[in-house]
Amino acid sequence: MGLHKLRLAAAVPVTFSSRLFLKPFTNTLTLGLFSRHLQPRNKPLLVRAFSASAAVQDIPATQTSDSSVAARPLWKAAIDFKWIRDNKEAVEINIRNRNSNANLEAVLQLYENMVNLQKEVERLREERNNVAKKMKGKLEPSERERLVEEGKNLKESLVTLEEDLVKLKDELQHVAQSIPNMTHPDVPVGGEDSSAIRQEVGSPREFSFPIKDHLQLGKDLDLIDFDSAAEVSGSKFFYLKNEAVLLEMALLNWTLSQVMKKGYTPLTTPEIVRSSIVEKCGFQPRGDNTQVYSIDGTDQCLIGTAEIPVGGIHMDSILLESALPLKYIAFSHCFRTEAGAAGAATKGLYRVHQFSKAEMFVICQPEDSESFHQELIQIEEDLFTSLGLHFKTLDMATADLGAPAYRKFDIEAWMPGLGRFGEITKVEDWESVTAHLNRLRRVLRKGKRIFQPLSLSTL
Amino acid sequence: MGLHKLRLAAAVPVTFSSRLFLKPFTNTLTLGLFSRHLQPRNKPLLVRAFSASAAVQDIPATQTSDSSVAARPLWKAAIDFKWIRDNKEAVEINIRNRNSNANLEAVLQLYENMVNLQKEVERLREERNNVAKKMKGKLEPSERERLVEEGKNLKESLVTLEEDLVKLKDELQHVAQSIPNMTHPDVPVGGEDSSAIRQEVGSPREFSFPIKDHLQLGKDLDLIDFDSAAEVSGSKFFYLKNEAVLLEMALLNWTLSQVMKKGYTPLTTPEIVRSSIVEKCGFQPRGDNTQVYSIDGTDQCLIGTAEIPVGGIHMDSILLESALPLKYIAFSHCFRTEAGAAGAATKGLYRVHQFSKAEMFVICQPEDSESFHQELIQIEEDLFTSLGLHFKTLDMATADLGAPAYRKFDIEAWMPGLGRFGEISSASNCTDYQSRRLGIRYRPSEPPQTGPKKGKANLPATKFVHTLNATACAVPRMMVCLLENYQQEDGSVVIPEPLRPFMGGIELIKPKHK
Repeated sequence: MGLHKLRLAAAVPVTFSSRLFLKPFTNTLTLGLFSRHLQPRNKPLLVRAFSASAAVQDIPATQTSDSSVAARPLWKAAIDFKWIRDNKEAVEINIRNRNSNANLEAVLQLYENMVNLQKEVERLREERNNVAKKMKGKLEPSERERLVEEGKNLKESLVTLEEDLVKLKDELQHVAQSIPNMTHPDVPVGGEDSSAIRQEVGSPREFSFPIKDHLQLGKDLDLIDFDSAAEVSGSKFFYLKNEAVLLEMALLNWTLSQVMKKGYTPLTTPEIVRSSIVEKCGFQPRGDNTQVYSIDGTDQCLIGTAEIPVGGIHMDSILLESALPLKYIAFSHCFRTEAGAAGAATKGLYRVHQFSKAEMFVICQPEDSESFHQELIQIEEDLFTSLGLHFKTLDMATADLGAPAYRKFDIEAWMPGLGRFGEITKVEDWESVTAHLNRLRRVLRKGKRIFQPLSLSTL
Repeated sequence: MGLHKLRLAAAVPVTFSSRLFLKPFTNTLTLGLFSRHLQPRNKPLLVRAFSASAAVQDIPATQTSDSSVAARPLWKAAIDFKWIRDNKEAVEINIRNRNSNANLEAVLQLYENMVNLQKEVERLREERNNVAKKMKGKLEPSERERLVEEGKNLKESLVTLEEDLVKLKDELQHVAQSIPNMTHPDVPVGGEDSSAIRQEVGSPREFSFPIKDHLQLGKDLDLIDFDSAAEVSGSKFFYLKNEAVLLEMALLNWTLSQVMKKGYTPLTTPEIVRSSIVEKCGFQPRGDNTQVYSIDGTDQCLIGTAEIPVGGIHMDSILLESALPLKYIAFSHCFRTEAGAAGAATKGLYRVHQFSKAEMFVICQPEDSESFHQELIQIEEDLFTSLGLHFKTLDMATADLGAPAYRKFDIEAWMPGLGRFGEISSASNCTDYQSRRLGIRYRPSEPPQTGPKKGKANLPATKFVHTLNATACAVPRMMVCLLENYQQEDGSVVIPEPLRPFMGGIELIKPKHK
């Protein structure tokens, strides 16, 4: 029985959880538009970092919703263990700075064991091949018998070792997934309060009269209906009416046209996707407090962001260098359970189960990701400045980055009805992590394979 | 134990099934944009046609997915049994014309039984009240003992009869739901081929070059990606790219602005709703071959049309007459499993699991529904004429109406890439069929001259509203029409004039050089 060929896969074990309820209260309302945190996965995954073969098949889906160690994953992350081993001090410091609970020692140990076991397996295979070769020639019956016996023993040992190897690789992947992305050198080290202000635009408007919050305005101007939606659908759903409908369409139309001018390709996406895609993007559709709605009777889920179906377009692909960069502005409805989000930061339109969003997504060469990160944040700042908003752009500190982000800029706008700033967008540079997840590669002119980084921006 | 107060409810036992695979093949591709057909429900429902009280509570949700007769429904339709009984010949003819499998005899029989049982129950209650009254006075001990005994017996009989009554009402509702709406006298009787042409606009464009279908155009112009979507989501999903995104937004923007001019209120809606709302609108979320996606671990579903959440806005309400008519143009994404739809009519954008749609919905007084039906179809015809489409409006024959529709106009547009007409919109007058299930009523502003029974003291009795729905724009089907009809020999596609301002002035979708 040969080693199962498995699709390169991955799941950075992250969940959509609101940063809000994990952080101490400040004057800034962090809405956790799309935060990811690490959580050890209980499902073992197999890593295929050493196989040169690109063609793989899916492991039969035996994933169950309970965390059984025996459950085989559908796919694996192409994690660069050699690099981790060779840079272990930096990786350790990074893990600490990010408050991650990744266990680097365990990873390195398992990796060593795995490498050794792999060598042993290969050695046994070679011996068995030799035996098979010898048996092709003319032999004495006793010699033949001896070889048959030897072949059988080798085969039995191999089967055992190969099973062990599979388990070891699963375990290694399981532990290794917790390891967060490396961090940009300019990112401030520390918690939320250490985040640096990259820019502040405008100032809070001075009102000469008592002001209303958006809920009151929505009622008074007959723009938003939460009450009917609570009957029809449940809490955190709403209807938009009258000018609010036109406003939503205007926002999306205008945003699309502005961003298209910068060379982004407009896109609409499926809002139902296979759950494996959701996982590859780093979310746990079936975990407790999952943010993801699943469809009954299928392996499908609703997307929480267009990032998921857009990332999926190019999965398991090799792109030509000349095709890069790929720049998309993707529009979709987004669905989130908001499980676990409670308290004041759920009022009205702040936290809803369904909303429209335009998302920018960039696939580029590694050396370009930093400049695209700057391009994305610049586009956002320009958009919000044009709309006359008062906002600040934050360079998020290490403990506030999600696992995939190499660097993250959040924009928080002033919301007078609430008397605080609230997050309206973020821009993440995912560097190579998502590239691992979706197995994107770029073939350089020189023919060397390198993983591409991704830059993401939400609007 | 009193009669359980139950919420006005119902579920017409219908499913979203495509008319296509139920009808013989003709030169018209009936895409069954939104058809409903009858199917007996296995779950009994309780009817509340006789209770004057409007305030009710939900029956605890004990619905299970297997059809157990003991399962209590969450709500009931306010079906007018007296009217059915008094007009039974007309109802029977209607059932036959519509090829419905409703069993009128069974309904009438159950109704009789129910009425009689109800009388018996009321009689026993009155007796028990009398006994209780007598016991308030001064009595001989033996007399008191006798009355106590009598009271006990009456109570036991009542409990039994009341349980029977509940079961009977459930059974009655279960059978009665199959009964379709009555039919407009002008509707042709018969199958699909009997549908009458109300109007035909334009003529098929003559092409001087070999034409492509929308799939080919979508590939060549880099507008539609089905392949990636098949990997990411499955078949019948797609990405729109480049000008197609602008085209979708232009279609919706333009449609919205045109319809708003006619006094329709724009609306966006939740796309996740409780399954009971879906049922009240006449769909079976949990039947075999259901068109409805359900959400795991909840009682929620994805909507297949904005008609559902819009109908839900005013459910269990009494509107003022002065508030009517309510006219909405609602925009939403729609999700359909398309279970059971197979064959040639599933190609490309014809039949997809997710699409954008603008839907018109009207709530009005009964006497106005006919004129609103005309208004809706006129709006649709004007929209499609403005876009330069060649289409015909059909007055659908009786066998082709869904259960809720009193009358239905379908518009089928010429799709040259397929060489046939394909349904792009549908306008239905559902009269009071949905409102009896959703519980939408209105209170007339003045008492009528001849005195029918009054509701609350000095207030005129409430009546059920009429509801209508009509597709203003189903984006994928429109895209098929526009791409295929407006293609040029050089592979480009012309944008119809009304849409250009909504697309930043683009006049042409040109092939891109790679």
